[in-house]
Amino acid sequence: MAKKKVKIGFFSLTCCEGCGFAVLDLEEKLLKAFEQIEIVESRVLMEKPSPKASKLDIAFIEGSVISNHDLDKLQEVRKKTDFLVALGACATIVGINGIRNVLPGGIRERLKEKAIKPMREKAFPLSAFVKVDYLLQGCSINEEEFLDFLNKFLHGVKPVLEEVPVCFECKLKENGCLLLKGIACLGPVTYAGCDALCPSNNAQCIGCRGFTKDGNFSSLDSLFKDFGLSKKERFNLFTYFNPLPEKLKDLEGK
Amino acid sequence: MNYTIKKELLPRFLLSLGKNFEVIAPVKEYARPPSFEIFKGQELFLDERTTFSAKKFFRPSKEKIFSFKKDKASFEISPEIDTTKRVLFGIRPCGTHALQALDQLFVKFFGEDQFYSSRRKNTIIIALQCSKACKNGFCTSLGTSQAVGYDILFLERGADFFVKAETEAGKDLLDAEFFKHTSDAEPSFNLECEKNLETKDLGKNLYANFNHPVWKQESERCLSCSSCTQICPTCYCYRLNDDFVFGSDTESERNRTWDSCQLKRFTKVAGNHVFRPSRKGRLRQFVLHKFSYYEENHGTHLCVGCGRCITTCPVEIDLTFIANKIQKDVSEGKK
Repeated sequence: MAKKKVKIGFFSLTCCEGCGFAVLDLEEKLLKAFEQIEIVESRVLMEKPSPKASKLDIAFIEGSVISNHDLDKLQEVRKKTDFLVALGACATIVGINGIRNVLPGGIRERLKEKAIKPMREKAFPLSAFVKVDYLLQGCSINEEEFLDFLNKFLHGVKPVLEEVPVCFECKLKENGCLLLKGIACLGPVTYAGCDALCPSNNAQCIGCRGFTKDGNFSSLDSLFKDFGLSKKERFNLFTYFNPLPEKLKDLEGK
Repeated sequence: MNYTIKKELLPRFLLSLGKNFEVIAPVKEYARPPSFEIFKGQELFLDERTTFSAKKFFRPSKEKIFSFKKDKASFEISPEIDTTKRVLFGIRPCGTHALQALDQLFVKFFGEDQFYSSRRKNTIIIALQCSKACKNGFCTSLGTSQAVGYDILFLERGADFFVKAETEAGKDLLDAEFFKHTSDAEPSFNLECEKNLETKDLGKNLYANFNHPVWKQESERCLSCSSCTQICPTCYCYRLNDDFVFGSDTESERNRTWDSCQLKRFTKVAGNHVFRPSRKGRLRQFVLHKFSYYEENHGTHLCVGCGRCITTCPVEIDLTFIANKIQKDVSEGKK
């Protein structure tokens, strides 16, 4: 293994910083990782104010781009890092930051007026502006998945994001299917990796890990329609965490 | 020699086996669907077949096959073979036929898979004959309604079970504390399944209708959630992962996990090429593997007619509907 420690930075754009704390939740496992890594810039994990690193091996960025301030910070980090990982729903799929993208015009204007800092017209994930090398999804991220990524990276392997729906992991845990109970669950179109956390606790999946490319949206949408969900309810459910509706184009006419 | 046991003694009998074995039984816990679990006195589920099959005790969803260690001086490889002594109680006739199919694949056809065969050899099978047909089952069409390859067979008879010991290993378990000799005749049951499958030339006809419109029609609804393959007692496709041990550059382990033909990644090969990308193709693979491809190699069907995939499908895709539709068109000379 490389004797030189891998230099890591954590950065937050607009978000709750929960993913950064999820990393802290690894506790002892994280301490073990410190034999091989070195955190050189982080607001949460280091003394204040955080030192500024000039060069990074991996930058983990959480949060969405909703202001020009966010955008400047993102571009600055991209320039100094070799590998950029989007951390959590806000950074990967824009998440609940993007709900305003799909709000009616009037409310959006009012939000803009009330904002403390100047906002951009719409909220976007990191990939809208810079090259993102890997996604660690979820709200918040799965800590084990973070560790798995780090493990692979340190061994020189680039992890691949697999097209596997939540249902796959849900069935491994032998859960009863919520769709069979008439509960609108987004498991079939959402990336796995969370160990089916919500369906295992009888709560429907709301798609925080992002939609798979392979998902059969029109079939799921018509199933929800059979459950008695109105067009608005279905739209709200599908855009809860994924408010960039290019994926949902086929649903518009229905 | 045959025996009887009172139904109320059954949990006590199973717990008594727990001294020498890991006892697996169909149980229902809280609001969870019935499944096979290690029996520790939970509520037994004996109404019909369980929602989840017992295959996880022979082919776990994730099993460490071996770990290896390599440094400059040595190379060490240590396989991990499970030799736990188990008793599997309450597997239904369809489940016993599924085990025969897995035996055919993992002991006879591919060569002996010691990880599977070790679990199989160390497990005593107590089958439970069905007294009535279950919802969505179609075992009578496939000839899988009578248990095979068991050590002991339980048959329902009023307040008792009629017990038939087939092997010596099975006979040794029948403690006189619970079991009484009987010279009565074995009860027989006539199952009437709601669903039927026309099996005449089934594999041949399905394959000949590779482009039948029913594939497209049914697959448009498919969510590709992979529940059908996970829940199936005979689906055995797997993937192998070499996983690193954290913080070590000399150790690694190889894990075998379940995989599913309903996922796009299943057919991803070198260069990221996916050779079966369409939903239609994936659904067709599931059905044709059960009835056509397996039959070609092994002379029988890989489907045991338990109907689990039909029960679990959120969008009501029914493989008997697909198969019967094609069979009907063939018999009417349409295709």
